[in-house]
Amino acid sequence: MNEILKMKAKELKTKICSGELKSVDAVKACFERVREAEPKVKAFLKLNEEQSLKQAEDVDNKLKTGAKCGQLEGVPIAIKDNIMVKGETMTSASKYLEKYISPYDAMVIEKLKDAGAIFVGRTNMDEFAMGGSTETSAYQKTANPWDIERIPGGSSGGSAAAVASGMVPFALGSDTGGSIRQPAGFCGVVGYKPSYGLISRYGACALASSFDQIGTFAKNVTDAALLTSVIAGKDYRDPVCEPNERIDYANDIDNPDALKMLKIGIPKQQVDYKTDSEISKYFNDAISKMKLEGAEIVEIDVPAYKYVPALYKVIMCAEVSANIATFDGIRYGYRSPNGINLNDEYAKSRAESLGYEVKKRILFGTYVLGAKNYRRCYRQAQKVRTLLINQITEAYKKCDFIFSPATLQMPIKFGETLPEECDIFLTAANLAGLPGITVPCSFTSTGMPMGVHFMGSRFSDAKLFIAARAFEKISGFDANKRPVF
Amino acid sequence: MLKEELETTAFLARIDVKEDEKEKYLADINGMFDYIEILQEPDVTELNPTTHVTELRNVWREDIVKSCPREVIDQMLNGSPLREGTFYKIQKVIV
Repeated sequence: MNEILKMKAKELKTKICSGELKSVDAVKACFERVREAEPKVKAFLKLNEEQSLKQAEDVDNKLKTGAKCGQLEGVPIAIKDNIMVKGETMTSASKYLEKYISPYDAMVIEKLKDAGAIFVGRTNMDEFAMGGSTETSAYQKTANPWDIERIPGGSSGGSAAAVASGMVPFALGSDTGGSIRQPAGFCGVVGYKPSYGLISRYGACALASSFDQIGTFAKNVTDAALLTSVIAGKDYRDPVCEPNERIDYANDIDNPDALKMLKIGIPKQQVDYKTDSEISKYFNDAISKMKLEGAEIVEIDVPAYKYVPALYKVIMCAEVSANIATFDGIRYGYRSPNGINLNDEYAKSRAESLGYEVKKRILFGTYVLGAKNYRRCYRQAQKVRTLLINQITEAYKKCDFIFSPATLQMPIKFGETLPEECDIFLTAANLAGLPGITVPCSFTSTGMPMGVHFMGSRFSDAKLFIAARAFEKISGFDANKRPVF
Repeated sequence: MLKEELETTAFLARIDVKEDEKEKYLADINGMFDYIEILQEPDVTELNPTTHVTELRNVWREDIVKSCPREVIDQMLNGSPLREGTFYKIQKVIV
């Protein structure tokens, strides 16, 4: 594989800025790898080869004149297809938005453009991010680069697979119930979801608004932190975006004593769930390694973990039904030619353009929000959500981070069903608005990667990156190993 | 959920559900009812519901009309499956 693709994004940027490396060569290297990997992986819904080479040329020319170098100047990146880039299509992997052209840039895209990043393509996902396997995409199935008969996870499966197969150094995804961190675990890359409110969702297609966050994929923790530094920050156009000062998460990320001072909480409830034996083994090895580095391991008790799948389903579907209600086929999107009146047109437009999973969630969500059911269903779920948050807050009195396997099972083959508790420790972070990061841990006997997950308290994102980086250094995972096609 | 409830819900959601799809929807959605039951288990009468983990604040701005460039207006209107001049065209509302 081309040496350029083995570099950290930070190194790429430094070399491009110093003139040692051309952005054009970095982009060309990506597309060379795309030609090898993409026919089998199918991570992208759209690739912008010509446009990104042109952009890279502009960067190289600009830098020759001694112009100021942006934080990600000339570095290629892939974008999940539910984030708007002005003038480009954004399908959210749905037929409903097949012809949609984004009229403006998402806030994260504005920031990436300012930083000089180059958008090489749009990645596949579950339709409207509803799923955990990328199989509900209306366009194509994405394969796990380590075993193309298996799922990459989801919903940001395209972004995870693109980074894992080495086609791009990093990518953006979105995470509503584990949609970045679960595919990161399945594909052997770093996947980070910020604290709720750290990154603006302006210009991102909503799924469940009280959980949704945009986050980052990279091959290593430092690059994920670097990308986060670029896209985080306040934005008045997302009302839940907290007015935080800009932080450079990648700076000072290397702290040799990081683990020495840490208390790592292991949920007592972990044993209640069936876990793949190799995942258990490598997870326990990871604990031992951190202990050796001086971390203190404590048991924490969060009995409400058992409500996580139910809580997530009820609240998410309710919010889905409200968000998807804006898709009426009038101002944009698909409109059925078969409607005989306005109501019929709405109903047929949705029926003909949305996939089964999306429609099922809308129907269940509409039911739980119905006047007769609201109190017993949606409001009760919101109260149980408070119970879970209270218990997690209590647990953080005993520890700095909650540590678990990223997924309790290995990726399944296409068409099989993933057990719903597979990623409950990830989904808990969305329910409580907490930051979480998946870090690759080891390759199992079948050659597939498995990952571990650190969850921090609210707005402990900078510390979370430091801890994740410290673990990455001792994990023994070979981040330069790439799938062969 | 009974068939009639599915039909009412589908109407409220404005989703056309065909007769031969109803059985599958009913089986799947009824399977999801277990989630509602599980959530009745803990005693949460004293707890407040969490709608968002942040304190939602009102975001203020000056009430000033800013003109929108013609090309943006056109781009927005062009997103519509059917337009007439500067309007979105829809089916007759009053029949």
